[in-house]
Amino acid sequence: MKKIITLVLSLIMGLSLVFAAGCGSDPAPTASSGSGDAPDIKAVKDHGVLKIGVKVDVPKFGFKDPNTGKVDGMEIDLARALAKKILGDESKIEVQPVTAKTRGPLLDNGEVDFVIATFTITEERKQSYNFSDPYFEDGVALMVKKDSGITDLAGLNGKKIGVAQSATSKQALMDEIKKQNLKIDILEFGTYPEIKTALDSGRIDCFSVDGAILAGYLDDTTVILPARYSPQLYGVAAKKGNEGLTKVANDTIADMKSSGELDKILTKWGLK
Amino acid sequence: MPGPFALFKWQAVLRDWQVFAEGFGMTILVSVLALVLALVLGILFGMMGTAQTKPLRYLNRIYVEFIQNTPLVIQIFFLYNGLPYLGVMLPVFWVGMLGIGVYHGAYVAEVVRAGILSTPKGQFEAAYAQGFSYWGAMRYVILPQAKRMAYPPLTNLAVNLIKNTSVMAMVAGGELMYHADSWASSNLYYGPAYIITGILYIALCLPLATYAKYLERRLEVSA
Repeated sequence: MKKIITLVLSLIMGLSLVFAAGCGSDPAPTASSGSGDAPDIKAVKDHGVLKIGVKVDVPKFGFKDPNTGKVDGMEIDLARALAKKILGDESKIEVQPVTAKTRGPLLDNGEVDFVIATFTITEERKQSYNFSDPYFEDGVALMVKKDSGITDLAGLNGKKIGVAQSATSKQALMDEIKKQNLKIDILEFGTYPEIKTALDSGRIDCFSVDGAILAGYLDDTTVILPARYSPQLYGVAAKKGNEGLTKVANDTIADMKSSGELDKILTKWGLK
Repeated sequence: MPGPFALFKWQAVLRDWQVFAEGFGMTILVSVLALVLALVLGILFGMMGTAQTKPLRYLNRIYVEFIQNTPLVIQIFFLYNGLPYLGVMLPVFWVGMLGIGVYHGAYVAEVVRAGILSTPKGQFEAAYAQGFSYWGAMRYVILPQAKRMAYPPLTNLAVNLIKNTSVMAMVAGGELMYHADSWASSNLYYGPAYIITGILYIALCLPLATYAKYLERRLEVSA
């Protein structure tokens, strides 16, 4: 009995340590020292490199080429533009692969300065992270096997849809399913390749995620249906409290929009 | 207070407690059924491991070595995504129960085999002298004694089995880990989500682990 009490006590102490660390790492509210740079920007400058969390499994946005080992895509181009703005050199970026599951924690513990990883802006998420203005808009789309003969959401009645663990596509689909009064199971997977594998093996009948991401997984046996549901807005995310970084992201995106640079990048990656 | 453990995130966990409860129930159900399967397989193959006939012993080795030397993740992935190509589409619940049951069956087999081997040979000889057949001696003389030796490690195996049900999260298994992942990755309130999930696993495993310790102590006294 005594042992159990000791164990519970040490557990509580451990947890409270985590708590304390969580509070302690919050930067003091911007003291706006006269030197011009916000403390978060200054930290990046001192470090000399901008640390960015990107996807490595989303062709066209952030994808690691298995042949060259290089990570490239529209979001990496955006990261370069941010590095140029902050550090004056677009090559000063350090990309780190993130998934839907790791991108939040990596921002919180300061491993990355920005997450640019097809991160959909939602009200709920805004409570935890700072989001920039959107740099891309896309709707949730459906991919099915060609030989299934399915042409719309109603055709999936009684079947299964696989989505990635990030509820924006799940929520969008659930709303639409409810509206059409259908009965469809939604299964969540950790990564996009896992969903594609499940579609190939027949575990699920449909792979659903934002249209542009889906396009990267299109092959001879599959087809993307024309319907699009609830537009998803992608934003650059920074840790709560790093208002300086978010402002730079907003400025950069606004500049790129007005100069036509953003359109050029989107065209380059075939996203327009 | 912002950060991963902000108060409103804890409130959100409490508000959505049903999500976690549903997963918790599934974890318990899969654990119980997989444990039964593991025990049945383990006792069967454990006895085969000590049989006089060579083919039975080989069968035991093949099963144990094959299962123990491949990761559970791959076995589950095969059952989930591989079997459909062979025309077998097991529901995900079965994938979890069979996969985890068969995996831990191999470990149970080793524990049972060790238990039987630790029973003095004289017990066998005495049983034969009384006219027992091999299987009869096993059933009435050897296994009851082996059971005492095997209980504590078996209880620890049960703890591992419960924790290993979390691999079902990978194939949308609907158990505790899946629901925790799903919930935490949608709203990104991962801090409280995973702490609550951890506590729920502790609630299942700690009593079992404590029971194993108790059994071990009792064994020392009686031995």
